[in-house]
Amino acid sequence: MIKHIIQRLCSTILLLLAVSFFTFWLMHTTPGNFFDSLRLNPQISQDTVARYERLYHLNDPLLVQYTHWIINILHGEWGYSFYYNVPVTHVLGSRLFNTFILSFTSLLLTWGVAIPLGIWAALRRNQWIDRILSVFSFATFSTPGFFLAVLVLYAASRWGALPLGGMHSPNYDELTVVGKIRDTALHLVIPASVLSLSAMASLQRIMRGNMLGVLRQQYILAARAKGLPERVVIYRHALRNAFNPLVTLLGYEFAALLSGAALIEIVCSWPGLGSLLLTAVRSKDVYLVMSSTLLAGVLLIIGNVLADILLTWVDPRIRYEKRS
Amino acid sequence: MKKEVNNSRTHLAFASFRRNRLGLLCLWALVILYGLAIFADFISPYSYKDEDRDFSYCPPTAVEFLDHGRWVRPFVYHRTLTFDAVHRRVYVKDLTQKYPLHFFKGGRLLTVDAPGRFYLWGADARGRDLFSRIWYGARISLSIGLLGVSISFILGLLIGGIAGYYGGWVDSVLMRLCEMFMMIPGFYLMLTLRAAVPENFNSVQVYVSVVVILALIGWASLARIIRGMALSLRERDFVLVAKTLGVPDIVIIVKHILPQTISFSCATLMLTVSSYILAEAGLSVVGLGIQDPVPSWGNLLSDAMGIVPVIFAPWILLPGLFIFIAVMCFNVIGDALRDAFDPMFRDGGVE
Amino acid sequence: MLKSNVIKNTGNPGLKSGEVANRNNRQEAPGFSPGSVTPAKAGIHNKICFCFLFFCVCSIIPSAHAAASRYGGSLVLAVSSDPKTFNDIVSTDAYSGAITAMLFEGLTTADPFTLKVIPNLAKSWTVSPDGLQWTFHLREDVKWFDGTSFSADDVVFTFNDLIYNPEIPSPSKDVLTIDGKPLKVEKVDGYTVRFTLPVKFAPFLRSMAQTILPKHILVQSVKEKKFSFTWGTFTSPEQIIGTGPFMLSEYHPGERLVFKRNPHYWKKSPQGGALPYLDKVIFLIIPESQTQLLKFMDGELDSTPVRGSDYPLLKPLEAQKNFHIYEAGANYDSNFVTLNQNPGINPNTHRYFVDPVKLSWFTNIEFRRAIAHAIDKKKIIEILNNGFGLPQNSPMSPSSGFFYNPDVTVYDYNLEKARGILKQAGFRYRNDKKPYEVEAIGPFDKKPYEVAPLNNFTKLKQLGLFGPFGGQMLEDPQGHPVEFNLYTADAGTAGRTQIAAIIRSDLEKLGLKVNLVPVEFNTLVNKLMSSFDWDMVMIGLTGGVEPHFGQNVWYSSGGLHLWSPHQSKPATPWEKRVDEIYDQGAQELDENKRKVLYDEFQRIVAEELPVIYTVLNMDMYAVRDKFGNLKPTVNGGAFHNIEEIYIKK
Repeated sequence: MIKHIIQRLCSTILLLLAVSFFTFWLMHTTPGNFFDSLRLNPQISQDTVARYERLYHLNDPLLVQYTHWIINILHGEWGYSFYYNVPVTHVLGSRLFNTFILSFTSLLLTWGVAIPLGIWAALRRNQWIDRILSVFSFATFSTPGFFLAVLVLYAASRWGALPLGGMHSPNYDELTVVGKIRDTALHLVIPASVLSLSAMASLQRIMRGNMLGVLRQQYILAARAKGLPERVVIYRHALRNAFNPLVTLLGYEFAALLSGAALIEIVCSWPGLGSLLLTAVRSKDVYLVMSSTLLAGVLLIIGNVLADILLTWVDPRIRYEKRS
Repeated sequence: MKKEVNNSRTHLAFASFRRNRLGLLCLWALVILYGLAIFADFISPYSYKDEDRDFSYCPPTAVEFLDHGRWVRPFVYHRTLTFDAVHRRVYVKDLTQKYPLHFFKGGRLLTVDAPGRFYLWGADARGRDLFSRIWYGARISLSIGLLGVSISFILGLLIGGIAGYYGGWVDSVLMRLCEMFMMIPGFYLMLTLRAAVPENFNSVQVYVSVVVILALIGWASLARIIRGMALSLRERDFVLVAKTLGVPDIVIIVKHILPQTISFSCATLMLTVSSYILAEAGLSVVGLGIQDPVPSWGNLLSDAMGIVPVIFAPWILLPGLFIFIAVMCFNVIGDALRDAFDPMFRDGGVE
Repeated sequence: MLKSNVIKNTGNPGLKSGEVANRNNRQEAPGFSPGSVTPAKAGIHNKICFCFLFFCVCSIIPSAHAAASRYGGSLVLAVSSDPKTFNDIVSTDAYSGAITAMLFEGLTTADPFTLKVIPNLAKSWTVSPDGLQWTFHLREDVKWFDGTSFSADDVVFTFNDLIYNPEIPSPSKDVLTIDGKPLKVEKVDGYTVRFTLPVKFAPFLRSMAQTILPKHILVQSVKEKKFSFTWGTFTSPEQIIGTGPFMLSEYHPGERLVFKRNPHYWKKSPQGGALPYLDKVIFLIIPESQTQLLKFMDGELDSTPVRGSDYPLLKPLEAQKNFHIYEAGANYDSNFVTLNQNPGINPNTHRYFVDPVKLSWFTNIEFRRAIAHAIDKKKIIEILNNGFGLPQNSPMSPSSGFFYNPDVTVYDYNLEKARGILKQAGFRYRNDKKPYEVEAIGPFDKKPYEVAPLNNFTKLKQLGLFGPFGGQMLEDPQGHPVEFNLYTADAGTAGRTQIAAIIRSDLEKLGLKVNLVPVEFNTLVNKLMSSFDWDMVMIGLTGGVEPHFGQNVWYSSGGLHLWSPHQSKPATPWEKRVDEIYDQGAQELDENKRKVLYDEFQRIVAEELPVIYTVLNMDMYAVRDKFGNLKPTVNGGAFHNIEEIYIKK
């Protein structure tokens, strides 16, 4: 299993390099040398500009520039954000964490709700609850996330119990640790639930399909014939087998959540990587754009690797295959 | 003479699809949507740019059929704008000015003479007819999805086909390329690509850029699917025969393997179109997609992203409904196709 | 950010109170109570501004409570963007200026009601009979945040080592340089400073609102030539040392700024108690105005700017949600479009900043006049602001009071007239041309005046995919189609992108093909200040009561002379005249004579149209009812007296 993970890591690092080169190339094909306008901006010291020109070898061919950029990244030098007027690392860290919280909570929410719903729908196939869930799934899957977020925000503004956007209340710093967690959780409700809704839909249907497929199998028939209580049949035998294939989806789920999170973050003013990227793109803040995209890629890879590990742990076949 | 029964897998699949009532319904809905979009010039009373600033956020205009109790040719009353005490817009019907509806005048289905205005679904902030803008916007939104998918599909077919057919290092390299694209979450990739587009592009250039960007975010997953299918197909007998006969590889790929994959990838295609429509809407809503004045459902919705327009002019949310309908139809069709191609479900659903 | 010239002070030195009253009476703000949204203590030079309102107005209840119960609580406000720097000397944008206004103070300030100059860090001053020597006696009880005493050294340091330092790009330098000569600033003793003016300078007292920075903290960075980027946004909060009522306690980029009470603050309440009353002032950074509105409605914000379009939503909720909307009068902040008349060459690329073909249009006064006739100010106000707002015709706003000149050329919205002007200037419409003259233009054609067969672009257009333009396209006398980009940025509550969209569609009716390009505000500022790579821009400037403080915009060599910056000598006769007016106006002490000069200045601007004004927004803000001592004014906004504001228990 370890060998497998190391293999994956190696290929993903290569991929990461490729991704970074692609983003780098993209950013540098944009016409206009932003360093010119930087030079003329009095609030950015000439030293800073000169330093970055040296660091990034701006007058050298593209490949050389790229190599230097990668080396700098490995040294912790991620570039300078000209919009925020601080080094990129100052803004990236907290935003990354915020996006992670949002995505992770959505992931938990999605799986926590979709799996039981899928099981329920499978057990009550073609009854009214199944049909309702089916329609609901399609509906939420098809609604644009930002649209749903806007509608939910307005509904919440009428209701008045939930904070509308942002991540912290103004008095966040005065709260106790428990208070802080509660505050963040309250702010998470709207973005995380909107984000989960569409992901839930497809997952629920897949779970339902898997469950139905498993329930048709011979060993279920055998278990029932043995006289096992229905509960044991369903939850110990059927569920386990229906659930395993879903773990392969975990990686894709995470990717979709990260991507969907970006737009939700923007609508709900959640200070995450997505809204940072939007500001960076709008202001053509080159290093920030490259770093955000790279970081999103890293986040995705980590998610995938974790999903892989989880899969190997959950599915004994893979484990035993590797052994033999 | 006995009628020939075509039992090929594709045929059986499509027959099964035809039995799926919901799928057919959605297919027809899409046909209607696209048809109306193509004929937007005809069904819309106004051009998408036609603004009348005296009618800012005018509510939908009621068509009157009765004049003093008598049935007359349908007409609309003129409306005048006033502001009430809290500066809210109030439109008052002016009973003295009537504008009859004209049919088929000036190449449009329904119009009224100026200065009357006919707003079937209300007006936006600048007095532009939402109904017209939705249908002109349908052209953009629906065509972007299709064009993007076509490009993605061609890319995916070629790369997936070649990778699957040759295997070995070609496969490895191409699949790593795919993974590279799939490694960046879609929205991030979209924004990054958009950052590379110069800001002063005009509307045509922006449209083309958006199509290309969309195509680039989705081709990778298509390629992987095609490659998987090609991998299994290349072991088949007819391929071996073709190889022995000396048919060039590229012809085998294009003429024999790819057509087989197309039918299976139909389902994925439908789902990709729906995700492209959503992606374009997302891009336009943050102002990075199609720019004003050219309408697209996404940038029509960007007007609706404020609490004030939604409360005082709720019709501004209609484009969202259309996005929803289009995306849902594509999803249902895609789902139905997928079910149709799956043998278990196809054969009447074995319990 | 370019917000209006951030000259908060109003009023002229040497005026008797009677005249001040006259000025107030002349204020034109029909139907609105005076009020301003600019922070109370602001810089003295023009800044490009976001037309945003970030200080809320507080209610006006004189409190009868015991002072002791007033202490405590916090005020939560919103800003639309992060500050770019905490260094008040080099900042050019109004967001940074608004933040630093909390921290720093000047020798004088303006009384928010009478607009008269009143003592601040200086407790009194005397002036020599010839008007050239001013001696300021500083307060002796002022302490910096770190406890060090404020003294004359700091004043001398701020002027001589910071503002007049040739290596430090300070916008104040221009304003404080009269006739090419700086003011002479010398220390007399620990608490006395003498200013010697080279010539009489009318706005002198008002310009002494210039914020003073601490010598003992900053002298090192000046020696090391690092001052321009000292106190950037990455500086840790406790290092920012000022004398103001609040000090910076935390800064979370993209989220919020927190200010806490300055325990050493010198101002005392009427009962002699320490000020300020509030414990904290929190600024939430909320870029989207809709989110600001939502957060005000759900209780997180204590105040929010109210745009005309928000008014019908908020007004009916006043009683239910315990707040009041204060209408403060017309903004000082302008909104205008300007065309790039810069004839220069980019030193890096050796190409003209502006394509000579386009330059020939933009420098043509008739072209600009035609555009001026295509701005539908009335409808813009009605559609975008629900009727709140005034058409703007001159660089000063009616709220500026005495110096505002309403008698300038007004360009009515008349497209026919505009077309006539263009035709007279030699422009032609393609429809009016003979068939053999018609050519098709595509994005790939290099020479637009070559006759080309129907190409793909025109075919696409004929499909109706992008709407007809066809024969209505305007061409200049040489046959070039008139086509250019209009850049704009949405900044706070100004709604400039929407105004620009309306202008664009009107220009299209005139036959001009304008490509609306919304960009980020910073990008726009970069274009205007550094790269000069723009055709037409819609933006705004902060304004104020003292016209001289607009000098960096209107002086031909000024840094904000947007349409043609950094002129070594005036490029046109009218710009020469404006230079003269500014030179004379600064030195003329008789207020009425000054008014004559500045009236002429406003007339010139309206005639020559270097910028084409659009509309003035109304300042309105909603504030929760829980605050006491709210005394809103046009000039100071709602929280100009932030040290006196307390939360009613």
